[in-house]
Amino acid sequence: MTGAGPSLFRRLVLVITLVFGLAAAGLGSAAWIYARIAADEAYDRLLVGAALQIAESIATEPGAVTVDPPNSAFETLALAPDDRIFYRVTDPHGTHLTGQEDLVSALDGTPLGRMPVMADARYRGFPVRIVTLGRYVTGPGIAGWVEVSVAQTRLARLALARDLTLKSVLLVLGMSLLALVALVVAVRLALRPLSQVESAIAARDPKDLRPVAIAAPREIGTLIASINHFLGRLAARIGGMERFIADAAHQMRTPLTALLAQIDLLSAETRADLRRAQIARIRERAEQLGRLTSQLLNHAMVIHRREVVALTPVDLVPLVRAALAETVPLSLDRDIRVGFEAETESLVVMGDPVSIREVIGNLVHNAVRHGAPGLIAARIRAEAGRALVEIADDGPGIPPESWPEVVKPFTRLGVEPAGSGLGLAIAADVMAAHGGTLGFARRADGHFAVLLAFPLAEAGTVPLRLAEAAA
Amino acid sequence: MMRRMLLLLALLAAPTAAAGEDVTIFTAPGTERHVLTLDTATDLAAFQPLILAFQREEPDVTIRYREMVTNTLFERVRQECADGRRNADLVITSSVDHLVVLANEGCARAHRSAETLAAPAWTRWRDEIFGFTFEPAVIVYNRALMAREEVPRTRLALIELMREQPVRLAGRIGGYDIARSGIGYLFAAFDARNALVYGRLIEGFGRLNLVTRCCSGDLIQELAEGRLHLAYNLLGSYAYAAQRQGAPIGIVLPEDYVLVLSRGAMIPVRGGEPALARRFLDFLLSPRGQKVVREEAFFFDVSGAVPEGVEAAAPVLDAGNIRPIVIGPGLLPMQDRARRIRFLREWAKAIERSPAGE
Repeated sequence: MTGAGPSLFRRLVLVITLVFGLAAAGLGSAAWIYARIAADEAYDRLLVGAALQIAESIATEPGAVTVDPPNSAFETLALAPDDRIFYRVTDPHGTHLTGQEDLVSALDGTPLGRMPVMADARYRGFPVRIVTLGRYVTGPGIAGWVEVSVAQTRLARLALARDLTLKSVLLVLGMSLLALVALVVAVRLALRPLSQVESAIAARDPKDLRPVAIAAPREIGTLIASINHFLGRLAARIGGMERFIADAAHQMRTPLTALLAQIDLLSAETRADLRRAQIARIRERAEQLGRLTSQLLNHAMVIHRREVVALTPVDLVPLVRAALAETVPLSLDRDIRVGFEAETESLVVMGDPVSIREVIGNLVHNAVRHGAPGLIAARIRAEAGRALVEIADDGPGIPPESWPEVVKPFTRLGVEPAGSGLGLAIAADVMAAHGGTLGFARRADGHFAVLLAFPLAEAGTVPLRLAEAAA
Repeated sequence: MMRRMLLLLALLAAPTAAAGEDVTIFTAPGTERHVLTLDTATDLAAFQPLILAFQREEPDVTIRYREMVTNTLFERVRQECADGRRNADLVITSSVDHLVVLANEGCARAHRSAETLAAPAWTRWRDEIFGFTFEPAVIVYNRALMAREEVPRTRLALIELMREQPVRLAGRIGGYDIARSGIGYLFAAFDARNALVYGRLIEGFGRLNLVTRCCSGDLIQELAEGRLHLAYNLLGSYAYAAQRQGAPIGIVLPEDYVLVLSRGAMIPVRGGEPALARRFLDFLLSPRGQKVVREEAFFFDVSGAVPEGVEAAAPVLDAGNIRPIVIGPGLLPMQDRARRIRFLREWAKAIERSPAGE
């Protein structure tokens, strides 16, 4: 665990609250703008209605225009009960007929006509909304437009706009709150399987590496699957190590006991020639023990690498060639030909060069030790999407009935004393780690062959230089 | 110029009685600390109980009571407002349409209190005008000259009576001179909303040579003295006060509809004692003040109860029967210049038509 990071829950809630807050603020501003427009539209209708009613009351007498503002006009405007009302009627000559003589007109350069013109203005220090419209009169001695302006303060508009805004903001806040609550509940529900996993694992015996069995939603399911996969690997690895340690201890104990016995014999031996022979045997035993130890360590290393080393692009051709050259002993008691044959210039697989080299080495060792009379041949080819490495020798090989057995650790054929019986097991392990297989074959020419099949890397993968890969 | 002179005198606090303006000073019963100046178009006799009741609550207040006719009051406050001169502390008038015009033009100071908010909605506007009485327009008659049964109970009955008895009633029917009396104009304007009845009514008044007077007091006095048989659309409160004091008059609440006025108070923007004016206003609207209004000053109240001695059909003050003069922007056309001129001209034409000319 990497310490207690910030709470996932708190972070989620914080982000959502922020988003909702911003959204509510934005919606609130929009609501205010729309509410003002709506309030203006609603009350503009009243204002125009009142102006029209006043205009309707305009009549002509000989030489004069008369106007009789009807009660209904003011009752219409009184629907905004607290607002001040101002109005002015001017005849075609510009003579003031009634109302406030100093009231401004809504006309701003536009010619006076039947269509009402609206404007915002200040009158006597009050912010007002003004409508101005005209009425064309003709009569004896008079003809032209009578101008009617009606103004009203903005209290009712403001109150309506505030009311509308408040209601929509309350609605938005209510929705946000609801969503937030729903979210909190949802997040808590969603996170519950996590705490179940947590308590299930916390409550476990440290030796219990069985998979965690908890019904969980799909999103959490992958996490549980990963945990279970990890637990499986851990269990397998610990099991393998336990087995390996038990086997290794057992394997080490036998030659050590034999060695001690021979040393006892040596101390009791008085004859010089027999002593020499005894020392030679002890030496042989010690070498055998050294090989065993080295192979056990190799095996441990290979197992370790399988778990921890990431696979890299590896070109098998130079790798196998180098491993072959390293492994074949320079001096042998017999003359063995070593052949190397590659069908292509390079063959790239995803692999761990160190492990692969170890495998090749083991196989060549086996061939040398188990009596290839005169030939060890390595061949590399690509076949059916796989890279095949074949290590063949002209020795007796392993009988087919033993093939399944020999890949298990510490299996030796017959009474061969020199081998540890680990080589093929290591090779099989490595191949499994590479997603490949280890196989055996009796070739048409009678040679026995071990086949390593690797999956090919994707086309175009460039291998690391061998030196780097080996480093 | 004259007005300026008066104002100068008023500012010098010289207790004076000039033409069109009567100043009465109610000296503080205790030590004087404040002076509250009221500009009113209300009979002192009616208002005095309220002043005395207020001074019992605040004995350190001297009250200057300047009484004038409604139109004078209106012109005065409006001019002061336009010129930015100092106003009285409180303005009280029965011509609430005047107050609406003044408040509309921004000459009023707002006031909000538990008392103002408790008042019925139709009696206030913008927290600036507050009606504090409930005064019906009534028909008043001389009990010695007319039998109770022959007194008309509706406007149509009045029209009928005038047509049937033109000789007996010629020059014997009184009413406000609506050109001079604000309340007379207001009642007439509301009557005119029933155009047909109103037309026949003033036609009848014209035929019978309606006696017009500026003020309720004159009409009531002439009724009491038997110089008038009957007067139309008088303020019920004043008539009832006279009746209580023994005037031989009868009061009839019309049965077709009753116009109801709520006398208005307003705190002008440039009054010198706004806080005191607010206290006085709250007192007027408070239950204590309303008790004085009901029992000693104006005798009717919002409850609609008809005081003893007033003739009314049983459910006469039911909602459907009452036409309150709603204080609000609806009163603005009452003071529309063109309308007022035309209305007064038509009224004068109808009233002054001689019976012989028919």
